[in-house]
Amino acid sequence: MQGLSCAINLALLGIRDIVVLDAGYWQGGASGRNGCLIRPGFGGHDWTRLFELSWREWTTLSQKLGHNVMFTERGYTMIAETGQSADMLRNASQLHRQYGITSEILTSRQISKLLPAINQEYVTAALHQPRGGMAPHHSVMKGYLHACGEKGIEVRYRTAITGFDMHDHSVRGVYVNDHLIRCDTVVIAAGPQSPELARYAQAEIDGYMMRIEAMALEPMRPLIGPALALIDSLAYFHQTARGEVVGGTEVPETPQTNLRADVPAMAAMARVYTRLFPQLADIRILRQWAGLLHISSDLAPLLGQHPRVRDLWFSAGWSYGFAGAPGAGLLMAKAIAKGQVDEILRPFALDRFEKGNPIQEAGVVMIKN
Amino acid sequence: MIKIAWNNTILHASPGDTVAVALYRHGIVSIASTRKLHEPMGYSGSYVGGVLARVDGQPNIRLDQQPVRDGMRVESQNRWPGASCDLLSLARFLPPRWVYGGFEHGRFTPRHGRAYLLWERLLAHLAGVGRPPPRPRSASERPARKLGVDVLVAGGGPAGQKAANDIARTGRTVALVSRGTTLGRYAQAMGVTPLALHKDIIVLSGMELCGSYRRGSLMIAAPMEYESGAVAIEAESLVLATGKSSMPPMVRNSHLPGVMDAHTALLLGHFHAVPAGKAIAVVGTGAETMVAQRLALLGSTVVYCGHVSELTCIHGHSRVTGIDIGNRRIRCDAMVHAGAWRSDPSLAFQTGAEGVFQVSDVMSVDADTSCVGFCHEPDQDIHVPDMMDPAVRICPCMDVTAGEVTDLIDRAVTDPEILKRLTSCGMGPCQGFPCWESMLALLAKRTGQPVDSLVRPSHRPPRRALTVAQAAGLCDVVQPL
Repeated sequence: MQGLSCAINLALLGIRDIVVLDAGYWQGGASGRNGCLIRPGFGGHDWTRLFELSWREWTTLSQKLGHNVMFTERGYTMIAETGQSADMLRNASQLHRQYGITSEILTSRQISKLLPAINQEYVTAALHQPRGGMAPHHSVMKGYLHACGEKGIEVRYRTAITGFDMHDHSVRGVYVNDHLIRCDTVVIAAGPQSPELARYAQAEIDGYMMRIEAMALEPMRPLIGPALALIDSLAYFHQTARGEVVGGTEVPETPQTNLRADVPAMAAMARVYTRLFPQLADIRILRQWAGLLHISSDLAPLLGQHPRVRDLWFSAGWSYGFAGAPGAGLLMAKAIAKGQVDEILRPFALDRFEKGNPIQEAGVVMIKN
Repeated sequence: MIKIAWNNTILHASPGDTVAVALYRHGIVSIASTRKLHEPMGYSGSYVGGVLARVDGQPNIRLDQQPVRDGMRVESQNRWPGASCDLLSLARFLPPRWVYGGFEHGRFTPRHGRAYLLWERLLAHLAGVGRPPPRPRSASERPARKLGVDVLVAGGGPAGQKAANDIARTGRTVALVSRGTTLGRYAQAMGVTPLALHKDIIVLSGMELCGSYRRGSLMIAAPMEYESGAVAIEAESLVLATGKSSMPPMVRNSHLPGVMDAHTALLLGHFHAVPAGKAIAVVGTGAETMVAQRLALLGSTVVYCGHVSELTCIHGHSRVTGIDIGNRRIRCDAMVHAGAWRSDPSLAFQTGAEGVFQVSDVMSVDADTSCVGFCHEPDQDIHVPDMMDPAVRICPCMDVTAGEVTDLIDRAVTDPEILKRLTSCGMGPCQGFPCWESMLALLAKRTGQPVDSLVRPSHRPPRRALTVAQAAGLCDVVQPL
């Protein structure tokens, strides 16, 4: 999705001759394995500015692409289960106000109204962003793919890059086996494969590959309205329009580099459901699956040109990539096509670690192994 | 005498019946309906969606696994305004093409804002699923237990029983997992006397092996009843004796109540003395004669017995009323299929498959996994007619028709994973079996590729066998890697 978003925004800025290569199948990577959740506000300035912009893109994305991405503003509620997280949410709420994001700490009565099924015994605070929500990833990816096709962008799946054509610390093309595709600029938005592809171009980047898992419950009529993120349980989930409750959590494990699913993440997610939504206890689990992502040292995305390899750009290290792709694609395209690196993009530069400026963010639901 | 309420009508049931059997005994064959177009479905042995109903307030209970209990209240789901009257069934008259890609595709729906929220709300109701259960004050996890054995045998049929006995005799510890509460149900229904089991075999009956993890070294067995906990089994090696299932024929109306696989018809006849119908047609790939003879011996009237490739159409509106063999119409109220026989690939796939871009079965199954019995034999090809009727349900629970699949194939969508995503084929309660077998057979026929060369969509655990509370109980027995 990062790749397609960047490509369509480049095309809208008048860039021609764009080809998108994907080693997997359509929606096979993180674009088709995410939580589908979208919110403008986070806990820190940098993330909030980027995701607020991206959320604004979401609100007009169907018009922009000419295809219905089915973004629904069913709201996004962050739940704290400890006093510390409750404080974080209160601070985040104030931050959101600074950026004009509608967001409020809910009273117990408001929580009952919004989430009648939740067991409030465990809830210490709830921050609700009514303009957040979700979009089914298949409709979003369908929208992006069709829009790219209509703009003359060639998208090839099951096509892996095997090397780069390099000249004087600058990238001049990519190899797909023996076939060389010459180009002026390469954007690596390869999710978990980004660090490996970077190495092909002798361009080390921060971070490593890891697995996260999710599962879907059998469908039922609406029980949970908004998208939910539980800061302390590291869980996020929502109920899809066709009734399945889909979500995932994380467990401390040695980072896995394969799409096999395992028991502990499913069991941990089931424990969260049983505790917070007792009505789900006897509902059956349809399926569980794993996805891979590229996780950076500060959990934030790596956006921009590589500091030592010219014309090699990255939109990598994503963990909230689905929500962030429309905005990041817009800013990346502007930076590539016009050479204007937006203020919002700047803190996410690849060399922030060596310059001692990692990003601080407390509002993400993500484990650090 | 046991009394149960079915959509507010009181029925008498016999002890030992499941709800599906009790309903069939009373001639109630239409239990559920397809999610979008509200086509009737029933007890088929093939499609889980046909036997899901609300029992004592709990949605989506499998009636073929639920024993009857006095005072039980059972209601059909996905009906409006009420269980006994379904105005939504008018959707059956919609052209199937209108629901290609599901209700979720956005061409005709609002693009954003309040109008979309309203549409989404309506969609959630049209999506055809059960109401949530009533809210309990709190819910408790079902504690799981761990079991370590040398060998795990999956399947309680004669092949599984023999394999378990052979292993037990060598002094190794062995667990035998069987879905049935009685072992070897189908063999018994065919008149085979069950083997005496070695006393040291740990038998886990009424449980489904719903997931194979960590290359088969960790298997999860899920109990069918809600109150029990799951079992996490660590075994040195795995023996698959899971047999084969008969694939529904790829002709119009093969999802209708009255169409069932041979196993289900035999179970009904042998254990419950309930015939599959008053006049039964049996089709198959060789086993049909034996099955027809057995059904006749169990008291059924068999009006036709022949090869499945001769079958051209099944007739009926709310249940089977006849079949076409070539141009000949045969009146019957049940149609039993005994082949093509194929193994459920789920456990073998989960044991052997892996990948970074796709979980695929390119890896061969490990040496410490073996298949015995019918499961070891090659799968039979599903007969796909040359002129495929677009109305054939490939995945009836999700209303995926052959027309929808061929429409995509003809637009060059030939990747099974993409076909799955675009149609939701196999995303319902059966989780891909038998629906993907039919989808792949159709794809192979349409594109001229051998069916074995197609990369299967990923078979994922725990395929609705495990409840949330049972999975939660596994937290304490399985540690992260």
